[in-house]
Amino acid sequence: MTEWIRYVLPAAAIASVASPVYAMEYLSIEEAQKQAFPSATQFIAIQAGRIWKAEAGGRVTGYFIFDRVVGKHLYIDYAVALTPAGAVHKVEILQYRESYGGEVRSPSWLAQFVGKTNASPLKINGDIRNIAGATLSSTHVTEGVKRILAVYGSRLK
Amino acid sequence: MAADLNRVRRARPLLGTFVEIEAAGPVQAEVISAIDAAFEAVSIVHTLMSFHDPDSDVSRLNREAFDQPVKVHEWTLDVLKTSIELHRRSGGLFNVAVAPILQRMGLLPSPDDAATGGRRPVLDAVELLERSMIRFRHRHAKIDLGGIAKGFAVDRALDALRGSGSLASGIVNAGGDLAAFGAVVQSAHIRHPRDPGRVVCRVDFANEALASSARRFDSFRSTETAVSAIVDRDGQTPANAIDGVTVRAPSCMIADALTKIAMISGTDAGSLLEHYNASALLITSDAEIQISPDWQNAVHLAA
Repeated sequence: MTEWIRYVLPAAAIASVASPVYAMEYLSIEEAQKQAFPSATQFIAIQAGRIWKAEAGGRVTGYFIFDRVVGKHLYIDYAVALTPAGAVHKVEILQYRESYGGEVRSPSWLAQFVGKTNASPLKINGDIRNIAGATLSSTHVTEGVKRILAVYGSRLK
Repeated sequence: MAADLNRVRRARPLLGTFVEIEAAGPVQAEVISAIDAAFEAVSIVHTLMSFHDPDSDVSRLNREAFDQPVKVHEWTLDVLKTSIELHRRSGGLFNVAVAPILQRMGLLPSPDDAATGGRRPVLDAVELLERSMIRFRHRHAKIDLGGIAKGFAVDRALDALRGSGSLASGIVNAGGDLAAFGAVVQSAHIRHPRDPGRVVCRVDFANEALASSARRFDSFRSTETAVSAIVDRDGQTPANAIDGVTVRAPSCMIADALTKIAMISGTDAGSLLEHYNASALLITSDAEIQISPDWQNAVHLAA
């Protein structure tokens, strides 16, 4: 077999494509509601911007809860759809953000993400579509879903 | 590609990471239902092969398979068959029976019985019997499919997309293990294992899979390396010297498993890579990149 090709990585060359933030918007809250409960005719807010009751013809088809957890450094927006009985029907990531590099430690840099809505989506480094090389942990989202179940699983019924 | 394709991209938390699925096709409703089916396939693999879920095939095997043969799902059987083949072809380097060592290192939870602690991985611990039945040859054998199941899940998700018939293209990314189909060249950016904020290179791929493994670097604690979940050939110590590996292969299950072997044996994995029609990119601890000879055209270094 022929030889492996070898390169030495110069530190400067690596830094030249350093990406400050990777962000992906998957679904708006409204889109996620419709996909979680396709038969629902209306979504009634129980807690503004956070909890909705999905109804179809006056019958409850489930609950939709929007939540946000901190990922590695930045917020991950996700939604949990619950069945009328309070069980998890679906968990969807709505927006994913991840920062790179040292600038995340600065509060002013972080402040630019506060209050971002779906009307002003974050789209930076759109050419980076797929990231590989280190697994991102979804632990915080998993814990968030458990917390939502603990708080709302029985109370919403 | 036709301009009127509907492109849909979704992400859900599964397999301990974020699984992202994107597909394109002429009918949006079909794209969405294919993506739902693909997530469902990943979810089934998650349920079957989780080390942590007491009802998974893996947990049932670890509890019962020495005392009596245990029947497993055909997907679990597929993964075990491939694991055994890789175990044989890698001279024992690939070994799903390393769970006791990972438990001792604190990387997997330990059960109450202290008998599992401190033991070396048992070679050839898993015996395949007829009719999807599995038996363990050793009382203390415990398996963890963490080194291969994520790749398998990506393959099953891609099958679900492909099987829906009407899609033009699709890609599945389970926390860095990816596979794609369709007449679209996809690209993935490989991050530096020591500094995830930096991209080492871009890799182009189409109708094939990529998987990566890296030593674990805990940036919240120190710049020193955290312990690797990959155990060296003496079956005792974490593998060092190579910081990260990316493997291209026809299937993601094979790519995933080969990253574990290449983390330990480096360029010595060459003939095994060739056997599986796979290629590798190694990032060594002294900042050198090594690319297997057949793959340089698809790798674009960050220069």
